[in-house]
Amino acid sequence: MVSVFERKKFWECCNRLCFFLILGLFCLGIQGNQNISWAAPFDSGQDAESLEVNMAGHELVRTARLDEDASEVKAVGQAPASKNEEASKYSEDSEAWPEDETVEGSLYPDPLEPMNRAFFVFNDAAYFWVFKPVGEGYSYVMPEVLRVSIRNFFTNLSMPIRLVSSLLQGKIKSVGMILVRFMVNSSVGFLGFQDVAKQALGYPIQDEDLGQVMAFYGIGPGFYLNLPFLGASTLRDTVGWVGGLYLNPLDYIIEDWWPNIGARTFYIVNNTSLRIGEYEALKDASLDPYVAMRDAYFQYRRNQIEQ
Amino acid sequence: MENHRIRHSLRAIFSSFLLIVTVAAPCFAGTPTDGIKKTTDRILAIVSDPALKGPENSKKRTALIRQAVDERFDWEAMTQRSLARHWQKRTDAEKKEFIALFGKLLERTYLDKVGSYSGEKVVYVDETVDGKYATVSAKILTHSQTEVGVRYRLKEANGDWGVYDISIEGVSLVNNYRKQFNSIIVRSSYDELVKKLRAKVAEKE
Repeated sequence: MVSVFERKKFWECCNRLCFFLILGLFCLGIQGNQNISWAAPFDSGQDAESLEVNMAGHELVRTARLDEDASEVKAVGQAPASKNEEASKYSEDSEAWPEDETVEGSLYPDPLEPMNRAFFVFNDAAYFWVFKPVGEGYSYVMPEVLRVSIRNFFTNLSMPIRLVSSLLQGKIKSVGMILVRFMVNSSVGFLGFQDVAKQALGYPIQDEDLGQVMAFYGIGPGFYLNLPFLGASTLRDTVGWVGGLYLNPLDYIIEDWWPNIGARTFYIVNNTSLRIGEYEALKDASLDPYVAMRDAYFQYRRNQIEQ
Repeated sequence: MENHRIRHSLRAIFSSFLLIVTVAAPCFAGTPTDGIKKTTDRILAIVSDPALKGPENSKKRTALIRQAVDERFDWEAMTQRSLARHWQKRTDAEKKEFIALFGKLLERTYLDKVGSYSGEKVVYVDETVDGKYATVSAKILTHSQTEVGVRYRLKEANGDWGVYDISIEGVSLVNNYRKQFNSIIVRSSYDELVKKLRAKVAEKE
């Protein structure tokens, strides 16, 4: 009798604790919204400002060096220099571009390049022969409003990945926003089909995943990977992606093998239909699409991790 | 009492200082955001002008957009930063040729983007000016409810701001081309790069 009573009391305590925890995070989330620099025009938070200053400083140093180099070149042009002088000047140039080492790819390691390039060709073909036609046909049948709603639904559903990732990084503001977003969108937003939290409250989606968590704790990208169907990734981000599979409620809601694959395929086709033209644009504008994609991926991830 | 007066005068000094700073700052060359806004609005006006619609007007429209883009973009600064350490090994004639080719490629890509314009909105979020250099952050709101963060880097020259880099969602155009150019030059040669670039531009003409 007593033990049952005590257990009941214990659970009550737990519930109350959870309630206060969530309430606290809510408040932080609401407050956090005011500090999000890019949500409000010309009203940047302190964090963003200092980041901005740092970046401007970095860019300044680089550009200033460039200008110095340029003026040097002009001076040389007026008074033709000997070959030796020029050679020594070129070796100094590399200092102005520390991230560009003479041996290509030392900053973004890509030891499996031949394999990656093969998969890149494979993905390219898969996109143009399968995903693009299917996506185009699908978008012909489905109006864009519906496709956006479906994407919103799946995004809302995958909330646990973002929640856990933000928690592990100690981003309390993000955690609060994610919780508010999930509550609001799941109820007022009709199970997440409408992103009410963004439209009405101005709470943007918090883009967090396990790859970013690992980066937060100082784990490097490992090396570049271009995987069949999955596309650009790194060793770290692939591990994070696999971990994320365990956090996706979709797998717990639809446990059967075939319906699960079906739901995933539907999700992929839906997403593809909203992004047709992006890959073509990258391919069209670049001289080496593989290198362009690899660099774009690293830059994109770095930007995500910094946020 | 004394304390109160000091505080009061301090506040007066501080507020007048703020006034001076805020009034004096924009007098110089127009703000970078204004420059980008002017060009963007001009291009949007061309794109949404009903008199310029249709395939028969596409040449005229392209020429107008090209003109607007040319005035805002600093092709030389862009090329210089994209070739990076390979820039100084080039002769003046090579530089000139490369600037023209690279400018054409970028223009073409930009025009393709503008050509598929369908009511996106541009919101200017932030601006930082640091001497001759400035950064303007903007957001593009697409019709499929996605927000795309864009950051322009500008350099002041002859009293106006010229764009030398655009970052989309943190992916800098110049950095991306620098990696590609470097990769091609390191693996083959500069001549091979120019050949590839020429072929790319020709294929799009």
